[in-house]
Amino acid sequence: MCFCKDCQRRTGSSGSVHAYYPEAAATVDGNVKLYSQPGDTGCLVNFHFCPDCGSTIFWTVEATPEQVGVPVGLFADPTFPPPTNAPFVPHKYPWFSVPEGVRQNEGHSEKFLAGAAAALVQRRIK
Amino acid sequence: MPVSAPGADFLRSGLHASANRIQLRDMLREAACQCGRLVIRCSGEPAGISVCHCLDCQRRTGSVFGVAAFFAKEQVTIAAGSSTAFKRGADSGSSVTLHFCGTCGSTVWWQPERLPAMVGVAVGAFADPDFPAPLQATWDKRQHRWLHLPDEIVSYPQSAVRAAPRD
Repeated sequence: MCFCKDCQRRTGSSGSVHAYYPEAAATVDGNVKLYSQPGDTGCLVNFHFCPDCGSTIFWTVEATPEQVGVPVGLFADPTFPPPTNAPFVPHKYPWFSVPEGVRQNEGHSEKFLAGAAAALVQRRIK
Repeated sequence: MPVSAPGADFLRSGLHASANRIQLRDMLREAACQCGRLVIRCSGEPAGISVCHCLDCQRRTGSVFGVAAFFAKEQVTIAAGSSTAFKRGADSGSSVTLHFCGTCGSTVWWQPERLPAMVGVAVGAFADPDFPAPLQATWDKRQHRWLHLPDEIVSYPQSAVRAAPRD
């Protein structure tokens, strides 16, 4: 789950809940429209949304190119596994409680920041 | 930002009796999509704020629930941009027309057919964790199993408002 303000505006909810899959595990059926935006690390996030209803279908992140982010709500399955990480907790709505056992971070996780730094180096090399 | 200070010029908001908050009646807030091209301005306080666990809200937000603030139509103006409309049926049996940004996809507001005088605004579009808390949650039978909302939020198994009778 993510509480950052970009996720708030994108979802219209108090935050995003999403699942990361290996890039090879996800295929696309139907039309998607691309919206790219640099995140606060400078790395691009490429959101793909349905042009008919606006729902974000998936995204890829320059910092973690091996993964695809998929909004959990798209599965429309209340038994979907619970989240494990919660970045940007300072932007959390006070009425929302992060479940026990979920790793909380003030911003991005260290792993993500390391990926972002590596991606920016790669970009300079190219 | 909500103002919480006692004083003669402050009016408690009508239907949204948020505890410990006294709001300026002419409070102005802007709700925007992710890319910032589509912006609406909401004056005054919302009549209600609601979490919705329905599967349509899950698919729209991509999150595990939607959070909506309902304003009277005349409280809401479009400040910037143009929207793409998406009309769908609702679990309540009624329909809703949602308005999203064609550039980034964020839904910013919608018009529920059964509440024609109201506009639902996506609370996340205000990007303000200090926005007043929701007082109710609908469709809790679709709530994700790991989720626990505060007891103060009154839960309904389905919709809290009965669909308006059709002619």
